[in-house]
Order: sequence, then C-alpha cells, then structure tokens
Amino acid sequence: MTWLLPSALAIAAVTCIALIAAHFIARDRPVAEPLPTARFVPDRRIHARTTSIALSDLLLLALRIAAVAAIGLGIAGPIVAGARGRIARIVLVDRSRSVLSLADARDILRAAGAADVVIAFDSAARTLDAGARAIDSLDKTGATGSLSAALAAASAAATSLASGADSIELALVSPVSTEELDAATPAIRAAWPGRIRLMRLRPKTASVVSPSALELPREPNDPVVAGLSLLPRELGASVRVVRGRLTAADSVWGREAGHVLVHWPAADSATDWPARPNLDAIGGVTSATGAIVARLPRLWSVSGRAIARWADGEPAAVERTLGAGCIRDVAVVVDPASDVTLRAPFRGFSRALLAPCGGARAFAPADSATLRALAGVGPLAAARNFRGAADQTSRFTPWLLALGAALLLVELALRRSSRTLG
Amino acid sequence: MAPAPAAAASYGALLDAVRGVHWPARRAVSSVLPGAHHSTLRGTSAEFTEYRLYRQGDDPRRVDWRLLARSDRAYIRLANDRAVLPTTIVLDTSASMAFPVTTRDKWRLAQELTIGLAAVAHADGDPVGVALHDASGKTAILPPRTRRDVVAEIARVVLAGEPGGSDPLTPVLRALRSARLVLVSDLLGDEEESLRAVRAHIVSGGEAHVAHVIAREELDPPRRTLLAADPEQGFVQRMLVEATRREYEERFASWRADVARRWRAAGVSYTEVITDEPAPRAVRRIAAAGER
Repeated sequence: MTWLLPSALAIAAVTCIALIAAHFIARDRPVAEPLPTARFVPDRRIHARTTSIALSDLLLLALRIAAVAAIGLGIAGPIVAGARGRIARIVLVDRSRSVLSLADARDILRAAGAADVVIAFDSAARTLDAGARAIDSLDKTGATGSLSAALAAASAAATSLASGADSIELALVSPVSTEELDAATPAIRAAWPGRIRLMRLRPKTASVVSPSALELPREPNDPVVAGLSLLPRELGASVRVVRGRLTAADSVWGREAGHVLVHWPAADSATDWPARPNLDAIGGVTSATGAIVARLPRLWSVSGRAIARWADGEPAAVERTLGAGCIRDVAVVVDPASDVTLRAPFRGFSRALLAPCGGARAFAPADSATLRALAGVGPLAAARNFRGAADQTSRFTPWLLALGAALLLVELALRRSSRTLG
Repeated sequence: MAPAPAAAASYGALLDAVRGVHWPARRAVSSVLPGAHHSTLRGTSAEFTEYRLYRQGDDPRRVDWRLLARSDRAYIRLANDRAVLPTTIVLDTSASMAFPVTTRDKWRLAQELTIGLAAVAHADGDPVGVALHDASGKTAILPPRTRRDVVAEIARVVLAGEPGGSDPLTPVLRALRSARLVLVSDLLGDEEESLRAVRAHIVSGGEAHVAHVIAREELDPPRRTLLAADPEQGFVQRMLVEATRREYEERFASWRADVARRWRAAGVSYTEVITDEPAPRAVRRIAAAGER
C-alpha cells in the first residue's frame, strides 16, 4: 500500500496525540463542594473550568481519535496496488541518423518481449502503438537523435503508467552516439529515478559517411570564395557553394544524399528572396561554430531551420530539406573591399554553413563514463515517483472522509446528550 | 446514664479548663429556689441590704426590735435573696454545622461549647439542660437539672447528636421555659424567626445568650475555583472565583455585623466564635459577656 500524501498520516498522528493530551488535561465544570455560606457568593453567570489530569470521556476520545484517523487516512489517500510487483516497461527506440540499421532494433525489441510503451525518437520523440506492427513500421530518419527528448518522453509515459505498476523499467535501444547527447541530457537523466537498461545498436561509422568535397565558384576575386577556400576539406559532405542564381542542375545536384547546396548570393540580383522591410546593417552574425564581428548589411529575410543568426536573433542563414540532401540560404553579404573573409573568425563561422545536412555529424559512440552515467545503478524506477498529487486519486478517500464526517456527527450528538444529562 | 469513657476522657481537659469560671446572670432572677444569682425577691437571708418601714401585712418576725426600741418606729430588715438560674442550651444540629466536611470543626466546637457552658452553669449551682435534634431527627430535650451527673448526661446527648437536615430551631426555642436560654448555632438557618423567639423569651423575663459559631473556612474559603453549594439548600450553587471572592467576603462580614447588631439590640448576649479559637477560651468569653 502506498500513500498519495504520507505527511497527512503524521499530521493525523500528532492530532491524535494532542487529543489524548487534551483529554488528560480536560477542563471541566468544578465539582460542587459544600459551603454553608454559599448564599453570600455573588450570583453571577461564571463559566469557570477546572483542570484534571485524569483521562476523561473515553468514549468521546475514542470517537474523536477515530474521526481524526479516518480523515487523516482519507487525506493521505491510500493506494492499494492492484498489480503488486508489476513492472511496466518503456522502450526508447532510436531511429535517428546515428543508427546504422533499424533491423537490429527490431530484433532487440522482439527478443525483449512485450513493452507497455514504445517511443521512437530522433530529434523528437513519438509514442508508438505497442505491438509488432508498430515496430515493423518503424522508419529511420535523417534527423539528429536527441536523448534528452527521448528521456523526457519516457518520463511523461511513466506518469501515465505509474498507477498500474510498482516499478517502471526503461530500456534504451540506441547507439548512443555523441551527437545525441546535449547539455540537458545529464539533468534529464538524473530526473529518472532508477536505472536504465541500455541496448546498444550499431552506430554509423566514418566509412559510410559521404565523401567530403567542396565546390566553389571560379571567381578568385570573390571574398567569400577566397575565405571558404581556406577551410580544411574534411567537411563530412559534398558541398557546392553558389554565389549567383541557382540553376536546375544545382537543384538536381542538391537533392542527392550527402549533398549540401549552399546558396550564398553575392548580390541582390542573384536571388529572389523577399527583401527586408527595412534595410539596415548589424554588427555581427553567429553560427554554431563561430561568429563574425563586422558591419554587415541585411538585405533579405530568409526562413527555414536557422543555422546562423544575426546579433539580434534574426536568422541569417537557414537550411531547407531538398530531396535526400539540403539547401542552405545564406543571407550574409560581405563587402568585397573587406578582408573579413580572410580572417580566422570567418572560417569558424563558415564551418557550420558547410556542415552536412542537419548539422555536423558526430557518430562516435559516447565514452564509457557517459554510458555508465546514462545506465545508472540501483533498482528500477519506483512508480510512486511518477504519481503526481494532482492526477492521482485514491478510491478509499471519499469513503474515509465520509466515515470521518459520520464519526464527528456521532461525537457531536454524544457530546450534546452528555451535556444535557450533566 | 454516664457518657462513654472515651467521650468523658475527651472532654475531661475541657471541664478542667473551665473549672472556676462563673457565669453570673445578666439581671436579678425571679426564681424562688436559693442559688448563686441575685434574686428579685427580698428575703431573710443574712446578707442585709436596707431597712423599710413596717407596712401592714409584713411578717412581724422581720421587725428590727432593737431599732424599734431606739427610735420608737417599726422597721423591718430587708436582705437580697439568691436564686438559681435554670439554663437550657440549644445546640443547632443543622447540616451547615457539619463543616468543613473533612474535619467538622464547627460541630466539634459547638459540642465543646455546649458541654463547657453546661459545666460552668452546673458549677454555679444552676439547673442545666440541653435541647437538640437527636440522631433519628427528633428533638431531644433534656430539662434543666442540678444533679451531679447532669453534665455527663448532657455530654452523652451531645455526643450522640449528628448534624444534618435543615429543621428550624424556632419550635425548639418556643417550647423551652428556662430562665436562661443559650443558643449555639451558626445562625444560617431560620435566623430571623429564632431572633423573634428569643426576643419573646427576653420580654417574658428570661435572658438569652447566643454563641455564633463560624468556621475559619467560611471566612477564608480555599483560594481556587469553587462551586459552592449550600448544604441545607442544595439548589443554591454559586461559583466562587477570585473575581467574586472579595464581594463574598464583604457580604459575609456585613451579614455578621448585622446579625450581631440585631441580636444585641434585642438584649441577647451575642458572642462570635471562630473554629480556630480554643473552646475553653470561648466558654470564658461567653460567660463574661453576660456580666453587666
């Protein structure tokens, strides 16, 4: 048996002790004592009380204690687990780009037996219908995996399972690559009150990553081309940078897997992007890999998944999916007379623009310490940790509260009758 | 009937303490029996008082013949007679006398006063008797007598008495014919009627004493919350707390002063006796209060 609000039991116990103490020091009307000169005592209505140290009114005390106990138990909310010892199972299945093959995941899931909840995740988590069909229909995506999103979804699923189980087992079917971890992952993992069963999948390896290649326009006087040419060639993808208008050939090329088409117009005539309502200049732009601090004009508004932002947060470069590849629109115009592209900050900034679709890949498996921390030690997560006071109820509570109210009524009647008799 | 040895022994000290105490009458008594008190009658005793001219009807034997020979006038010798003063002591046996409940000091002191006053009166040669309700609730009246064992008999009757009930004293007082009436009571019963009865007794030539017995606990009740119940009137229950204590004391003192004033104004020798006063001293005060 568990309790929704165990502190109510302690409060009820303290109240009972106080009741007993109050009955020990009960104040009552003093017993009449003969005084022949009583007639000289002023005849006034005085409600004097005397104290006694004997336990008095045992029936009233019993009724009061019973009422307090019933109300305390009702508020504490006893929950008798219908499935004592039952373990609910939640399975997190990684279908991100870090996974080499989902066939391994299907095999593991079938071998592990039935699960109550199956959650497939990449950058987001989605609960699947439990069953073989759902597992078979699982598809791999090209998105980056996020263990934080998966663990958060597991906690949400555990909350719904908690009322029908004593413990919750969490299984993680994933290669657990480095890119699936983020700064929030340790904190979210720490919020899971139990160990996690890790079932490792084979990760993608460097051999299956697309060969790196960077195609730049043949314009030696273009400052952007000059700057990008200084970048190392280990980009992890085939990148084509277009400074003019995009052609159909460019689009066809960009649709292929592993291809990144970077559309970085050199002038307003090289694109049809919508112009900003107010043309202005800003002091910097930043990406995940670096920042440029310079006076940069802002000509266009671009929309998509932001991979670079102006200093005020507005997207400066966005990525859009194009077939199996992607296209990146970079709305950063560099003054041809400036040498900013030749400096190290530009190279750092540009590295994110030339990264594979979906960002840089880091398929290397997490280190052993991270895996140990992720798996954790100790028992499975107790279901009571997921039972919130707001959404949990006890079927005994109304009956116990009704019993307490009835006992209080009986106590009231008994007290009144004893007062009448007295 | 002699008192029980234990009772006699317990009152032996009291009788010793009051030995030698005299209880003179407050005025000349009209009794014809010779005794220790001045009589209203003039007789032939050896205690010469005055001469008076012979009048027709006087006994010729009382003529002073020597004076007649010297003055040629017939005078008779007058002398004050001495007479006894029959005394009856009325002991209040109402429930209020059994206070405090644990020690019954009021009842004990009233018993001692009754026996002590009886012994003093008997020592003066006066007939002495007692009247009280006996244990069965009936009024026991022991008429005034002078025989030797009357004090012991009074002690036996008094010791057999048991305070209880709320029977009025007035019928007893009206039924008594003694020249000296002594009331030992707390006057918490039919005080007004008792005073009227005693006043009638005084008007008819008798004298009256009252020993007003008061318990120390009545003057100074316990300093705690007390639901005071009148033992003779159970329906009177009042809360005595610190806030009402002062008013209680003032009311009680005022009532005592009023009682003393009214009884004294009626010609009664009134003596207030507190339970912490030794009985022999109280007996002496009562006896002395009667002197004029």
